[in-house]
Amino acid sequence: MVRRRRPVAFARSGKLVAVRLGDEERDLMANLAAQFRSLLSEDADPDQRRLYPSAYPDDPERDADYTALIHDDLLRSRLEAADVVTATVGNETLEPDELEQWMVVLNSLRLVLGTRLDISEADEFDPEALDVAERSLLLWLGLLLEEAVEASVRFLR
Amino acid sequence: MSPTTTPDIGEKTREDIGEDTTTDTERPWIVLVWNDPINLMSYVAFVFRKLFGYSRQKADKLMRDVHHKGRAVVSSGTREKAEMDVFRLHEHGLWATMQQDD
Repeated sequence: MVRRRRPVAFARSGKLVAVRLGDEERDLMANLAAQFRSLLSEDADPDQRRLYPSAYPDDPERDADYTALIHDDLLRSRLEAADVVTATVGNETLEPDELEQWMVVLNSLRLVLGTRLDISEADEFDPEALDVAERSLLLWLGLLLEEAVEASVRFLR
Repeated sequence: MSPTTTPDIGEKTREDIGEDTTTDTERPWIVLVWNDPINLMSYVAFVFRKLFGYSRQKADKLMRDVHHKGRAVVSSGTREKAEMDVFRLHEHGLWATMQQDD
């Protein structure tokens, strides 16, 4: 049996979520939230394409209208999520709503990083790969997100 | 399927339609979620439950359809409703599109 070498990062505790991250993980998360915020300000970054998918892929005119209508709202909601992470990254507990903002940031970072790495479902982790640092980060973000989902579903109904 | 593949929306998907009603004779719009190699399956199912209030069973089935069939119809209704649903799915990082059912 494989034993966990670290505690589960997020666990429901009454009406709140207990956060069990070490100082290094919190520093990394704070750093990533800041990087995410600065990335969002770069308009034409191709790594961001999964953050703004087409709504009408077969209808460029309607798609342009949709994009014009919602781009700023999507941007604003992600900046707000990054702000929540920055403000709460040192907390021992989170409100469920705050954890959901963390999930938006964790997932958005995975989308950006996964796009940059051009990952596929068939990819297996290769410790010898040149981009092993980025791939490790992607896995770590996935682990945190998985644990955030497990904690969050316990607040649904 | 990769996240940059243009969805093949020529194929009709009719499952899960009929829970929303339109007040006129306009054909309803359907919202599709597409498979991508980055999003986690548990997260996708969570988003379906959170945004649409679906049961765990229904959310899991839709998530598995996305994963195995490449896409699933996750909601339907007026164009305005479909656009709002697509927006909320995009806000949560899912790859959603909409089209008019025919």
